[in-house]
Amino acid sequence: MSGKSSEEQLLEFLYACPVGLIECDLAGDIVMMNPHAMQHLLPLAGPRDAGNLFAALEHHAPELRSMATAYQATMGRVCDGHRIFVDLGPGPRTKAPRVLACTMVKLGADRLMVTLSDISQQVVQEERLRQADTWFATLLDGVNDYAAVAIDVEGVITAANACFTRQTGFDSAVTMGRNLAEVLQCDNTGGDLRLGEQIEIAGRDGWHLQEGWQARANGERYWCQRLVVARSELDTSPFTGFSVILRDVPRREAAAEDVRRLLTCDHLTGAANRRHFSQALEREQAHWRELRHSLSLIVLDLDHFKSVNDTYGHPMGDLLLRRVAEVCATLLPPRGIFARLGGEEFGALLPRYDREQALGLAEQMRQRIAAISIETPDGALTATASLGCATLDEAGGSIDSLIKLADERLYAAKQAGRNQVHRLTADAA
Amino acid sequence: MTIEETCFEAVSLHDLESMSTAEQDALPFGVVGFGPDTVVQTYNATEAKMSGLDPSTVLGVPFFDAVAQCMNNFMVAQRFEDEPRLDDIVPYVLTLRMRPTKVRLKLLAAPDMPRRYVLIER
Repeated sequence: MSGKSSEEQLLEFLYACPVGLIECDLAGDIVMMNPHAMQHLLPLAGPRDAGNLFAALEHHAPELRSMATAYQATMGRVCDGHRIFVDLGPGPRTKAPRVLACTMVKLGADRLMVTLSDISQQVVQEERLRQADTWFATLLDGVNDYAAVAIDVEGVITAANACFTRQTGFDSAVTMGRNLAEVLQCDNTGGDLRLGEQIEIAGRDGWHLQEGWQARANGERYWCQRLVVARSELDTSPFTGFSVILRDVPRREAAAEDVRRLLTCDHLTGAANRRHFSQALEREQAHWRELRHSLSLIVLDLDHFKSVNDTYGHPMGDLLLRRVAEVCATLLPPRGIFARLGGEEFGALLPRYDREQALGLAEQMRQRIAAISIETPDGALTATASLGCATLDEAGGSIDSLIKLADERLYAAKQAGRNQVHRLTADAA
Repeated sequence: MTIEETCFEAVSLHDLESMSTAEQDALPFGVVGFGPDTVVQTYNATEAKMSGLDPSTVLGVPFFDAVAQCMNNFMVAQRFEDEPRLDDIVPYVLTLRMRPTKVRLKLLAAPDMPRRYVLIER
């Protein structure tokens, strides 16, 4: 090495670091930052102060400020890989959208360390994977026929093919000029995205696909894949309307269903596994962020489960876990997911559920679990559970904080004597 | 024009090209000269003092990738790619010694000149 001082070496290292590093106070005033951080921050800041993290990101990620403020503990991870979507323009994409990932760690009462990195390529890859998934799903499903409907930006039907009438039972001549969402009554499909919400996403991403129940004119239900694609004339943005494709698909056949179950379910209890749960969390977080859907999480843990195994043996313990998964899964709303998160810990993810609804459901789960009774050679085996609920709003949009908050409340329910749902009013008391 | 009279606003690409290393070092503002491949060819003493880097570590490295990532965006680096002739002063914020520092940058380029320059005034 040359005669460089260690300070020079350190500076050289920081100047060349390909990840943005920032240290700031809780108000966002930057004490130190490396050039890579400024590379991203300055263009985003516009006329605002690039010397303040929250001011610079006010336009693209106003939630960061509130996440930092809402974070109560003096130390810990405020967010991890929180995505900042820099380019959200409508219409077909001509280039990769710029997406930054932000991790923020609180190191003291007034000290934050923040990293910023460009994950645009990663996001593009994820999208390709999703598209591949869509094709895969199409291969697994036998497709009977497809109905094509053109709507304008207001959702009014401007054209429909003959299959539309065959599939839905609505006469395409009669429905012309009417609003598609009203005709199909597709806003009553529980946890599904509404047509208007699909249109909003398609307006931004180019397309959106989902599956769900759809009613025909005669009231009969069928399983329907609904693809919404933004349409623009001569590659000009903004788009001029949307194409909606409806496909009457059989629900997944037994073989495909087996594969799906193998990939997404916990082998013992049949509840969703952690991987599936985590994917669903991310998907619902996106809906929360983009469409302002509420999202709640219940975590529950069986009380004194170790002694169940000790007293009645592991096979009985396993049976109990299966029964718990069964009774809880039946209480789920559409698109709700019940997953086994650990040994005797379960989680329920509840799209479109607010706090009160989640607390209500948690109480029902508690009662149903307390009512379980399994006959064993050593007498009746019964169980109780402690539960904690949290909403993504309370967690400032961070999945990590959501889980942490629900876990803390679960722990509080345990501390307060078990067999109960933790309620905030109990906190105040 | 003597060195003492050379001011940030008036100095031209031609002036810089005709200066010796010692003359560039004596300027009150930072001077970074680099080729079309962005590899640094001159790095004056004023800039070395502000950044805390020894010129020997900066010479020969791609400027916008290794040293000045904060300028590696459409506001600076992209302009050198898009505009063959450049003579502009822009307000900017650098991270000299990892501290956000308000500066003015002067961007200089001409099609017939081998070197482009970024001048930095604190």
